[in-house]
This record gives sequence, C-alpha cells and structure tokens, in this order.
Amino acid sequence: MITLWYGILAFMLTTYIVLDGRNFGAGILHWIVARNQNERRQVIAAIGPLWSWHEVWLVGTGGVMIMAFPRLMATSFSGCYLALFLILWCILLRGMSLEVGGHLSDRLWQEFWDAVFVFSNVLLAVLFGAALGNIARGVPLSSEGTFYLPFFTNFGIRGAVGLLDWYTVPMAGFCVLILTAHGATYLTMKTEGAVHERSVRLTRGLWVAVIPAFVIITLLTWFVRPELLEGIAVRPAACLTLLITVAGIYALVTGLRHQRERLALLGSTFLLFGLLMTGAAALFPVMLFSTTDPGLRLTAADCAAPAFSLAIAVAWWIPALTLAFTYLYIIQRYYSGKVNVSQDNQELY
Amino acid sequence: MQASLTDAALWHRIHFGFTITYHYLFPQLTMGLAWFLVHWKWRALRTGDEKYNRAARFWARIFGLNFAVGVVTGIPMEFQFGTNWAGFSKYSGAVIGQTLAMEGMFAFFLESAFIGALIWGEKRLGPRNHFLAAVGVATGSWLSGLFILLTNAFMQHPVGYAVAADGTLALSDVGAFLLNPWALVQYAHNQCAALVTGSFAVAAMGAFYTLRGTHPEQAKVYLNTGTLVGLVASLLVAFPTGDSQAKMVGRYQPVTLASMEGLFQGTRLADVSMIGQPNVIQQRLENPIPLPGALSFLAYGTFQSYVRGLNEFPKDDWPDNIELIYYAFHIMITLGTIFILIMAWANWKRWRGRLESSCGLLWVLMLAFPFPYIATSLGWMTAEMGRQPWLVYGLFRTNSGYSQVVSAGDTIFTLIGFVGLYFVLGLLFLYLTGREIHKGPDEADAVARPQEVSV
Repeated sequence: MITLWYGILAFMLTTYIVLDGRNFGAGILHWIVARNQNERRQVIAAIGPLWSWHEVWLVGTGGVMIMAFPRLMATSFSGCYLALFLILWCILLRGMSLEVGGHLSDRLWQEFWDAVFVFSNVLLAVLFGAALGNIARGVPLSSEGTFYLPFFTNFGIRGAVGLLDWYTVPMAGFCVLILTAHGATYLTMKTEGAVHERSVRLTRGLWVAVIPAFVIITLLTWFVRPELLEGIAVRPAACLTLLITVAGIYALVTGLRHQRERLALLGSTFLLFGLLMTGAAALFPVMLFSTTDPGLRLTAADCAAPAFSLAIAVAWWIPALTLAFTYLYIIQRYYSGKVNVSQDNQELY
Repeated sequence: MQASLTDAALWHRIHFGFTITYHYLFPQLTMGLAWFLVHWKWRALRTGDEKYNRAARFWARIFGLNFAVGVVTGIPMEFQFGTNWAGFSKYSGAVIGQTLAMEGMFAFFLESAFIGALIWGEKRLGPRNHFLAAVGVATGSWLSGLFILLTNAFMQHPVGYAVAADGTLALSDVGAFLLNPWALVQYAHNQCAALVTGSFAVAAMGAFYTLRGTHPEQAKVYLNTGTLVGLVASLLVAFPTGDSQAKMVGRYQPVTLASMEGLFQGTRLADVSMIGQPNVIQQRLENPIPLPGALSFLAYGTFQSYVRGLNEFPKDDWPDNIELIYYAFHIMITLGTIFILIMAWANWKRWRGRLESSCGLLWVLMLAFPFPYIATSLGWMTAEMGRQPWLVYGLFRTNSGYSQVVSAGDTIFTLIGFVGLYFVLGLLFLYLTGREIHKGPDEADAVARPQEVSV
C-alpha cells in the first residue's frame, strides 16, 4: 500500500511538472518567440484556458502528500521554508500576470505583466529544478528527522550543502533547458505564423542542446548519489519507465523529422514523464536522503500514514481521478487546435 | 504569552490568520454568486428572456475576477500546513489530509475545468451546455467548501480517529469523520452566510445602477433576486443554522461559549449581554445590558439550564484572547440581525412595488455590501480563536503545532511578503472590478465579443 501511494504521489507530481512545465517553457521563450503584442497574446492564449487546471495537479499533489506521507510534508516543506515561499509567490505572480495582464488593453501595462510573466516562469523552472536536485542529493537531516537548508553555500564540492550549491545549480540549469525545449515543442503545435516558425527553429536547437546537458547531469548525479543509478538497474519499475522514456524520444524525433507537431509534443511529454518517473523509481524506497549520516534518511515507510488511511484513500482516489480526466476530455474539445488571437484572446472580462 | 518579535508561535498564527482571512474574502462571494449564475442561466433557458443571460454574463465576469484571486491566494494555504505547521501536519496529516486531498481531487478539478467555459465559452458551448458549466462550477465551489469545513470540523470536534503507536492520529471510522455533526452544522451556517454575501453584493449593484439611473432593466433583476435571496439567507444564517452552531459550541466547547459571552461565573438563568465589555483581569463583564436567561435558553433549551463560567475551567484551557472573541461574536450577531432587518424592509417595499423609488433604502442597500464580509470574518475569528489553545480540540495544543525549525524572523519576513503582494493584488482586483461595474452589463454585452466565432 505504501508502494502504491509512493507511485501515486510520484505520478501526480510528475504529471504536474510535465503539464505546467510546458507553460514554464513557453513563458521562458515568451520574449524570444513573440516580438510584438499580437504575437505575445498568441503565446498567452496558448496557456490561458487550462493553466489553472494544470495548477490543480500541484494542489492535488500537496493534498496527497499530507494525507499519505504527513511526515515528508512536514519535514521537507518547513526545511525548505524560504524556497517554498519563493515558489508560492512566483506561482501567485504568474497567475496574476496571466489573469490580470491579459485583460488590460493598455500597452505599457501589458508589457509590465509580460515581464512579470517571463520572470516568474524562469524562476519557477529554476526552483523546481533545484528542488529535484535536492531530492536526488539529499538534505542535512538531523537525528530528530528535521533540517533547515540555507539558500546558498560557498559552492565548494566538499562541505555543507544548500538549496543552491554546486550540484543543484547545474540541475536547475538542466531543468530550465529541458522545460524550455518542452515548451517550444508545445508552442510549435499551438501557434501559427512567425511565432510558429521561431518555435520550430528553437525546438530543434534546444533538444539537441539537451543531449550533452543530460550526459553531464547524469555524471554529476552519479558522483553525488551513485545509489540512484544503481537503483535503476535493479528495479523492474525503473525499466518500465525507461521504456516510456525511450518511446518518448522515438516519438519526439519522428515528430520533429516529419513535422508532425502533435506527435512531437506527445513524445516530449512522455520523455519528461518517463525521466521523472525513472528518477522516482530509482529513489524508492527513500524519500529524503541524508547528507549528514546515511542512516538518518527518511524512507516511504517512515513517512507514511497508517495503512487504514491509505486504503480508504485509494477507494476514493481512483474514481476522483477518473472524474478529473472526464472533465478534461469534455473541456479539451473546446480548446483543441491552433490558437487564434481573435478567438482566444483573454480580453474578455 | 510573551508578545515579542521572537515569539515564533504567535507569528505563525498571525501568518496563517492573515493569509486565510484575506483568501476567504473571495471564495465567500464566488460560493454565494455561483447559484445566482445557475439561477439566471436556468431562467434564460426556460423563458428565453435575454435579460437573464445578460445578468449571468455580467456577474460571470465579476465571478471570474473573484475566482482568479481566490485561486492564487488559495494555493499557498495548503502548503502552509507543511511550511509553518509541520508539527500539526505530522500529528494529524493522516486524518485531515484525507479531506484536503479530496478537495483537490473532487472539487478543484471540476471547478477549474469548467470555469473557463463558463466565462469565455458561452457561444462555443451553446445555452444548454453553458448552463451545465455553471452548475459544474457551482457544485465544485460548494464541494470545496464542504471539504475545507470537514477539515476544520475535525480540528473543532475530532471524531472518527484513533491514536497510533507513535502518538500521531490515524483514521479509524470514515463514516464518523465525514458525517461529523460539527461539520454539517457549520457547513450549513457558512454556506448560508456565503449566500448573504452574494445577495448583498447583487442587491448593492442593483441599488447602485438604480440610483445612477443606468441599466434600469438589469438593476431591477439584481434588486429583485438579491433582496429575495438575501432575506431567506439572512434568516437561515440566524435560525436554524446559527442557533444550532451555538448549541454545538455549548455542548462540545463550553469554555468557548463562556468566552463568547464573557461569562466568568457559572449560573442558571445566564444572561446574553447585548452590550458589554469583558474585563479579564477582574473577571467580570463591564456595563452589560443583559437579556435575562437568554443564554441558558439559547444554548441549552431552557431558562433553568446551568451555563458553566470560565472560572470552572483551568486557566490553561481558556482561549487566549477572550476580549477579541467576545467582540467578534457580538458584532457578528448584531450585524446578522441588521441584515435581516434591512432585507425585510427591502422585501416589504418590493412587495408594495416601491423598491426602485425608495431612495433611502437604495442607499442603505448600496452601502451595506461590505458588512457581510465583516460578519463572516468575525464569525471565523470567533470559531478559530474560540478553539484556542487547541489546534485539534482537546488533543493537540497550538503551541506544539508550528514548525520548530522555522524562526520567528523567517515567518515575519514571509508575512510581510504576503502583505505586500496581497496589497497589490487587492488594488488590481478593485481596479478591474470597478472597470467592469463602470462598463456595466449592457455595454459590455454590446461590445462585439470576437471569441464567440465558432471554431
């Protein structure tokens, strides 16, 4: 049961990152692919209608985490206190820039909110990347099972770890890169005209750049946390998710070669999904590694709620998820296809 | 309690109190408005009268603004359980996590999927599906309220739990947990109050347009619907829901009831003081104007019932700010009574067909809309400060619940951040809402709505 909930939590967080990740990516590219106001509205309209639905995955992840692994939520969120609030404020600012900025017709204000939009998306990608880095590397857990991470370190390879240090910063950079590539793939599918052409060019370049970055980050991870890569080899679940990753890469490459934009997006979605789930499978059963003393690590069993709570939750979680996808299916039909600023403009309030 | 800049427990409480009070200003209006939208969409569908569609369109835009602010201020709330209240999350996460997770899975997916369709998709969906989108959003928003009140009810009156071997709470009886009597009463009370907020806002808009002499047809719709729902909801807030809520407090939290009424000595024939000031140091109520026996009757059903005073409880179990609870509770009750009187007056005039020409009444209706917000905030202050010193009533004290690793300074820093961001957010919200009101229901409708070209 604990394994199942570990899987569900990983699935929900991954789904959030994959879905909202394309919005981060599109937001990072906002100024690069869109050069005038009309083009910028196109990018916003590609994100607009469903971003709050994507955000619900994050809220759902938080809910599942406190229900299934209360101790993990308590330890990790209070330990990364300031970083967590930076994330929350960026999400708040991004929501404001989408909801408010889109409704102001004044040019100056639109430019201001565009800047807020880009800024918060970049920071969100960096912070989520750094968070992944911290999960992979571990945190300085004390004997009471708590920690409090400083924001920075001196970036030395030996010595104290921080939220941003020599390992997590490259990890954050890698996340920004791969999410930008993902976002470019999404924009290619959703847009037309000049934005589309720029997105096509960027998509190829970015995915090519991902390859060496991935090799570097794998080597760094191997140095920091060799258990993770060894975990992949021995876990059947990790082989399955690796298979998903490979299928994603194949679909992505084929899609890019033959200008099949929908296939390319599907490929990059599965590629990201597979990668993150592989990471989760390799991590299991650990939820938080300890950098101070390996014995202090928190495993899923240490953090989990009692079995009865978990069993009850499965009983309602499955129908709830089915309902959620039903709504998506119903609503998706109205937003499918390319955006058209005159139709999907948010200047509607 | 020492009150200083290094008192982490205090700042964690202020942190949560500020963010949740601000957040709740928005959902209470959307929960109240949601059923107005459903009602108008339904009337439009049945009668084919375009004025109802126009009303729904105008209020959907106001709804959308409130919804957006509600979402962006609501997301941090869930994470604050982990960041600021790690002790509490660890202790009771296995129980309250159930309803928090259900809220995300059942309510938010529903709401966020259909909100876009409700605000932007009228022509794309067609009248029938657009009506269904309104029902979906309304259901989602009320479900979300239900799950949050279930969570709160567990903190007020824990049921259906067991204590696990490591001292944390576990769920033992799902039925009892989900049918917590406290939750059902509080939910009814709270949702009626949300309807009061909604109907005062709708009526105030009608009064505003009537006094300005603009949009007469729409103003009439708002006044009629707003005052009718307003009267019914104001009455329901007081009786039976508010009355049952008070009885519930009397039964399960007698020390809170004593604080709400500033009752230091237990007695039969206990009074309700209409006006008064608790003096905690001297342990008496100053300058009371009493209604003899009313408290005994209201809380326990007969005038002879014995109401326990604060003195009968150990001081450790007293709520830590009795004055504030007393004022919050009494002002809420007073406002609730005034709401009934205003709405009764308005309905009397409406019945006589003179609502639109009663200038004085229209001014009152227009200026009354902020007061339901004040009343609901005070009601929640009574409930939450009345629960002190407990986080989970009788089981877990507030002082054990906050994150030990987070210093008071970090908490103050993030609190200041929220104050700043929410100030800007509030300005934007007011500006955009004001712009909608200025544009008005008819004009906004006359402007070509380009997105409605079907795909």
